[in-house]
Amino acid sequence: MLSYVASRTGRAFLTILLVLTFAFFILQSTGDPAILILSADAPPEAIEAFRKEWGLDAPLWKQYLGYLWNLTGGNLGRSMRDGRDAWDVVSERIPITLAITLPALVIKVVIGISGGVLAALYRNTWIDRMVMAFAVTGYTVPSFVLGLMLMLVVSVQWGLLPSAGADSWRHAILPIITLGVAGAAVLARFTRSAMLEVLGQPYIRTGQAKGLMWRAVVTRHALPNAAIPTLTIVGFMIGSLVAGAVVVESVFAWPGVGRLLVSAVANRDLMVVQAILLLVTVTMVTSNLIVDVVYGLVDPRLRAARGGGSTS
Amino acid sequence: MTDATLPAVADAGPGAVRRFFKAYPPFVILALVWIALTIVVAIFADLLKPYDFKALDLRDRLAEPVFMNGTFRHILGSDELGRDVLSRLIESIRMSLTIAFASTLITAAIGVGLGFLAAHFRGWVEQLVLGAIDFMAAIPFLIVALAVLAFFGNSLTLFILLMGMHGWERIARITRGLAIAAQEQGYASAAREIGASPWRVYGMHILPNIASTLIVAMTLNIPEVILLESGLSFLGLGVQPPLTSLGNMVGYGREYIQTAPWILLAPAIVITLTTLAVSILGDWLRDRFDPTLR
Repeated sequence: MLSYVASRTGRAFLTILLVLTFAFFILQSTGDPAILILSADAPPEAIEAFRKEWGLDAPLWKQYLGYLWNLTGGNLGRSMRDGRDAWDVVSERIPITLAITLPALVIKVVIGISGGVLAALYRNTWIDRMVMAFAVTGYTVPSFVLGLMLMLVVSVQWGLLPSAGADSWRHAILPIITLGVAGAAVLARFTRSAMLEVLGQPYIRTGQAKGLMWRAVVTRHALPNAAIPTLTIVGFMIGSLVAGAVVVESVFAWPGVGRLLVSAVANRDLMVVQAILLLVTVTMVTSNLIVDVVYGLVDPRLRAARGGGSTS
Repeated sequence: MTDATLPAVADAGPGAVRRFFKAYPPFVILALVWIALTIVVAIFADLLKPYDFKALDLRDRLAEPVFMNGTFRHILGSDELGRDVLSRLIESIRMSLTIAFASTLITAAIGVGLGFLAAHFRGWVEQLVLGAIDFMAAIPFLIVALAVLAFFGNSLTLFILLMGMHGWERIARITRGLAIAAQEQGYASAAREIGASPWRVYGMHILPNIASTLIVAMTLNIPEVILLESGLSFLGLGVQPPLTSLGNMVGYGREYIQTAPWILLAPAIVITLTTLAVSILGDWLRDRFDPTLR
C-alpha cells in the first residue's frame, strides 16, 4: 500500500512539474512580454529597463531555473500589471469562486446521485426516462447557453434576480444553478450506469434469494459498490472547484478565479496566468491522487492491477 | 455486419414499420436529419446565405426577426451593426462544423498513431505513450488551451490544431488495447507470416477491423469539441472577428441580451441541437456497433 501511494504521489509531482515547464516555455516563447505590456512603440530605454527589472534579459533556461527556485520558496512572482505578488492577486479570488462552486457541488451530488440511483432502481419507467432526459439535456446544453437562457428568463423577462455582478447573495443564485444543473446531469448519468451494472451482479441475486429485504439489498450491497466508480467523478468535481467556473463566471460577471484568468490572459500577465495554472493543476492532481488512494483502500484489487491513470 | 446486428423481432405485429422503428428510433432519425441539414448548410453556405455575413446595413440595425413581428428583410433579425443574423448563423455553422471535423480527424490521427506505436513496440515506447496518456488525462485542458491561445494570438490553423489535441488520449487508449488484442488473432499473424510489413498489417488489416469502435469514439468526441470551441469562442479567445463561429455569435449577443435577445438565441439553439443530435447518434452507434459492449 505504501509503495502504491508513493508511486502515485511521484506521478502527481511529475505531472505538476510537466505542466509548469510546458506553460513556462509556451508562454515565454510567444513574444516579448515587455513589448506586449508596454506596447511596441514604447521608447527602447523603457523596454530595456522593463526587461532588466523582470529578469527577462537573462537566457530562458536561467529564467526557468530561477522561476523553479522561487517556487520552492513559495514565491510565485509578481503581477506584471500592477507589481503585486501574483499569489495575492490569485488567492483573494479563491473564496469568491468557492462561494458559487461549493453550493453547486452540493446540488450536483444531492440531485445527481439520487437521480441516478432512482433511475436505475426504476429502470424503464417514467422516472428513469425523466432523469435521463434531464441528464442528456444537461449534458449537451453548453453552460454559457444555459446561463444566458436563465438570465434571459429570470432576470430580463421576469426581473426576479440580478443578471450580473456580485454585490449580494442574490447575484450568486443563477451561477450556482447553472453550475449545479450541468454537473448534476453528468453525475446522474454516471451513477445510473454504475448502479445498473452493480444490480446485474450475482451477489445481488444471492441477496434476494436468501430472502433479504430489497431495501437491505440496495443499501447494504448495491449502493456501496456503485459508490466506487461514482467517487471518481465526484473527486474530479472537487478538483475543479477552483477553476471549473471559467465560463460561468464570465457569463455572470462573477469576479472569481476564472474571470481573473480570462482577464490575465487578455492582459498577457504571465505570472498571474502561471500562478493560476499552478493552483488549478495542484488542486486537480491532488484530488485525483486522493481518489486513487481512497480507491486503493476501498478496493484492494486495484492496488497492483491498475496500470492507467484515473479517468476524468 | 448490418444484418447481423439488427434486432430479431420476427413475431412483431405490423411487421416492417415496427421493425424499422425498433432499429432506428425516432430520436435517432431526427438527430440524423438535423446533422444532415447542418452539413448541407455548411457545404452550400455561400448559396444559402441571403447577404454577405460581414455586410453592414446601418439603416436597418437591430431589426427584429420575423417571429417577433419583424420583416422578411432580415428573417432572423440583424445585429447592432445591421449585419444579417441568418447569414452570420449559416457562416458560423460552416465554421464550427469545419473546426469540429478537422480537429477530430487530428485527434484520431494522433490517437491511432500513438496507440499502434505502443501496441507494436511495447516496452519503453509503450510506457512513454501510457505516461503521455496519463498526463493528458490529468491536466485541465480548457485552462491550458486558454493560456496557449491567448499568448499565440488568433490564427485559425493553430486553434484547430489545439482543438485536435483534445481527447486523443481516449482514442490512443482504445487503439492500444484493441491492437494488442488483434495481434493475438489469426488474421494479423497470418498477414505477418506471409511477409507483410508492419505498415500493411496495421493499416490494411488491423485498422479496418477495429474501425467501428474508433468511429464511435470519434463521434462521441465531436460534441465535446463543439462545446469546447464554442466555449472558447464565447470567451473571445477562439475564432476571432471578422470570422464568426456559433460560440462567437453567442458571446457577441450577450451584450445585447436585454435589447436584442435574438442575436444570441439562434446560435445558442443551433449549438444545443447539434451537440444533442451528435450525442444521440454516437450513443446509438455505440450500442449497435461497439463489440466491446456485451
